[in-house]
Amino acid sequence: MDVTQYLEIFLDETKEHLQTLSDQFMILEQDPENMDTINEIFRSAHTLKGMAGTMGYKRMQNLTHDMENVFSEVRNNTIKVDGPMVDLLFQCLDALEEYTDNIANSSDEGDNDNEHLIKALNDYLEKKTAGGEAAPASEPAKEEPAPAAAEEASAEDVSDKAKWDQIKIGESETSVLSEAVSQGKKVYGVTVYVQESCILKAARAFLVFKAVEDLGEIILSEPSAQDIEDEKFEFDFSMIVITDADEEAVKKAVMSVSEIEAAYVGAMEFGQEAKAEASSDTKEETAVQKAHPSPAAPDHGAKNGAAGKPAAAQKAGKPIVNRTVRVDIEKLDVLMNLVSELIIAKNSLVSASTQEGLETNGSFNEQIEYLESVTTNLHESVMKVRMVPIENVVQKFPKMIRDLSKQLNKKISLQMSGEETELDRTVVDEIGDPLMHLLRNSADHGLETPDVRLERGKPEEGTVFLNAYQDGNTVVIEVGDDGNGIDVDAVRRKAIERGTITAEQAENMEDKDIVNLLFLPSFSTAKQVTDISGRGVGLDVVKSKIESLSGEVDVKTKLGEGSTFTIRLPLTLAIIQALMVEIGGEKYAVSLGSIQTIEDVAKSEVKLVENKEVMNLRGTVVPLVRMNKVLDIESTKGPDDNLLVIIVKKGDKLAGLVVDELMGQQEIVIKSLGKYINKSKIISGATILGDGEVALILDTNALI
Amino acid sequence: MEELMDLQQEEFEQVQYIVIRFGEEVFGIDIKYVDNIVRMQRITRVPNVAPHIKGVLNLRGEVIPVISLRVKMGLEKDEVTKTTRIIIIKLESGDCVGVLVDEVLEVIMLDSNQIEKVGYNSKETVASFLFGVGKDAERDRLISLLDINAAFGDKEGLAPQ
Repeated sequence: MDVTQYLEIFLDETKEHLQTLSDQFMILEQDPENMDTINEIFRSAHTLKGMAGTMGYKRMQNLTHDMENVFSEVRNNTIKVDGPMVDLLFQCLDALEEYTDNIANSSDEGDNDNEHLIKALNDYLEKKTAGGEAAPASEPAKEEPAPAAAEEASAEDVSDKAKWDQIKIGESETSVLSEAVSQGKKVYGVTVYVQESCILKAARAFLVFKAVEDLGEIILSEPSAQDIEDEKFEFDFSMIVITDADEEAVKKAVMSVSEIEAAYVGAMEFGQEAKAEASSDTKEETAVQKAHPSPAAPDHGAKNGAAGKPAAAQKAGKPIVNRTVRVDIEKLDVLMNLVSELIIAKNSLVSASTQEGLETNGSFNEQIEYLESVTTNLHESVMKVRMVPIENVVQKFPKMIRDLSKQLNKKISLQMSGEETELDRTVVDEIGDPLMHLLRNSADHGLETPDVRLERGKPEEGTVFLNAYQDGNTVVIEVGDDGNGIDVDAVRRKAIERGTITAEQAENMEDKDIVNLLFLPSFSTAKQVTDISGRGVGLDVVKSKIESLSGEVDVKTKLGEGSTFTIRLPLTLAIIQALMVEIGGEKYAVSLGSIQTIEDVAKSEVKLVENKEVMNLRGTVVPLVRMNKVLDIESTKGPDDNLLVIIVKKGDKLAGLVVDELMGQQEIVIKSLGKYINKSKIISGATILGDGEVALILDTNALI
Repeated sequence: MEELMDLQQEEFEQVQYIVIRFGEEVFGIDIKYVDNIVRMQRITRVPNVAPHIKGVLNLRGEVIPVISLRVKMGLEKDEVTKTTRIIIIKLESGDCVGVLVDEVLEVIMLDSNQIEKVGYNSKETVASFLFGVGKDAERDRLISLLDINAAFGDKEGLAPQ
């Protein structure tokens, strides 16, 4: 069967399940007795097994199968979870991730059998067997006992299995049932067990329902028909049937559906008193039925291929059904582009309406304003659709820190907040690596070893933190630690040693600037290169990545107390509010987010410091940038005119951009200049104005 | 076999070229690269880029760079007249660029046997942008055929620093 078309869904869902496993393993480590967690792990492992099997990834299937086996025993309280076991589980998780990566890269799972893991898992099972438990370790699927075993099943066991006698019958059903009996029909209770390996339980259940309905009428089922349809049941469900047919026929109908392990049918004595009798009636039936396990097993793979995965995913799904739709990000891009076009068209309409000679009346302007508010709302809505919480990225960090903590022999606790902070999907996809890098840096270089920490009077356990929050039009992510902090003098020495700066420069540089040297390519102060970080490809990569997302990264540090890296990212990359300015007759846009104030400065207030123009802005000396010089064009202003200065900020640095005219605020759509024009440093993009003209967007960060 | 088929095909292949004029010289551009021909419109200058990049223009909502082939080929500067047009060319990389031309003359059909390939050893810069010369027997003239990807495929957008 060709399954390639399901590969993407498979990968998506596998990743989700691996994440669930990772999260649950973390919980398990803290709370080995947590039944919910154990169940969740069992379900995820089981689903993964089913999915891998359907897709034909045998190795992955084997590994998950053994994990499932172990958890089946854990669930039955025959194995206890301990530290080494969690470690082993994490190793399994790594192996599964490797398989998944391989599949993603080459649609082949690779040829690593991970035998040692499988053996280690089986050791747990064997240990348990050695402990004198009854069931053989290799057969944890309890509902699949050998025929011989079934024969010996005790009466209690059978009544346990024939769960239909536990169905609560309401008044209305009772009347229907008595009516039926009075008409000479028979009432049966049926409990159906689906094979545990079945990955399409709902579909099988549906077929069972259908088969039974051919014979009679289903009055009640447990769980309800809706729940069964949604796969909200483990491996069995029960129902009450009114029929003319006999027990054998009903059973036959049920068993005709493939992947049904067993069916227990018994005459129903409705009313309160008859339960005991009913259950003993079923005794023989069950014993016989149990002798026919899985009549149709061989064809299940083929049959289930198509619908198997969605169904499998539902199985492990949360009880609350999310009303969501998976949408390809490309479709959202198209939608976003259309919204951009609409905003450009709206801008054209606005500029046309203000043109002289065009007769406009009040209602026309009103409609234009209405259109403006609609397009702005539309833009916001589309932006929101594209926003995803950074949770998707940061949720893998707890495991990473756990691994690091073992690797580095440091006690590390990771504190995260603001995981729900949302960013544009494209940004979230890119932000993972830089964040991971910073966290690794903090754990490796930032935190001291436990003995040093104790010596310094700090708690033995080091803290690494990641805080995210929204700040106006930007999202701030802080990553840091309470470790050693950056040794500014060490950086200074290193920089001189490397020839990055001269000794003289170093004297005059502020600590802040020295620390920023760390962001230069191949600058690593780690005394020894470790596996985790310190290969010199660290912070500069982080910086360039963040900048490519139009963000910025900054570092604050205090020796002995730790350091904090602060990343600022724009909420949106596509449409911004901008101030339109004129320089030398050309129109340029400046992002409103970076503008602090606008000043009208008399010529006499401009002073020269080191031959550079500066101004005094309420006590702060701000360097001035003559934009016409930067842009290589003649200013339209005379030399003695007052200067129009836009004060822009980058972090806590300020600069004053001297422009000719202000044209007003406008919502602009950012367009790329294309690959052909290599981005000129001071231009971050272009936009199309209302009259169809192209205006360039100034990158103020590059000017400071 | 495939090669043979290619060869056979080539023998009978007829390609349409858009004939354009720079000053006195005529050039041909393979029509499959031509996305659009627009009249001269306002071009926004981009500061600090190579001299042959005239700026960017808005083509139905897309921002497209405009190139002066004359400057690039070392001819004298463009003079904008009534006949000046911008040919929007779609490169194989999928990017679009606009090219300023003095005039668009016509579309002609050239058989592959009417085209003489030029060697790459020529020292002239212009020649490296050409892949051949077409002989238009009807009007008794030679048309220099532009090698689009050689002429525009580079990315020397930024001025040498």
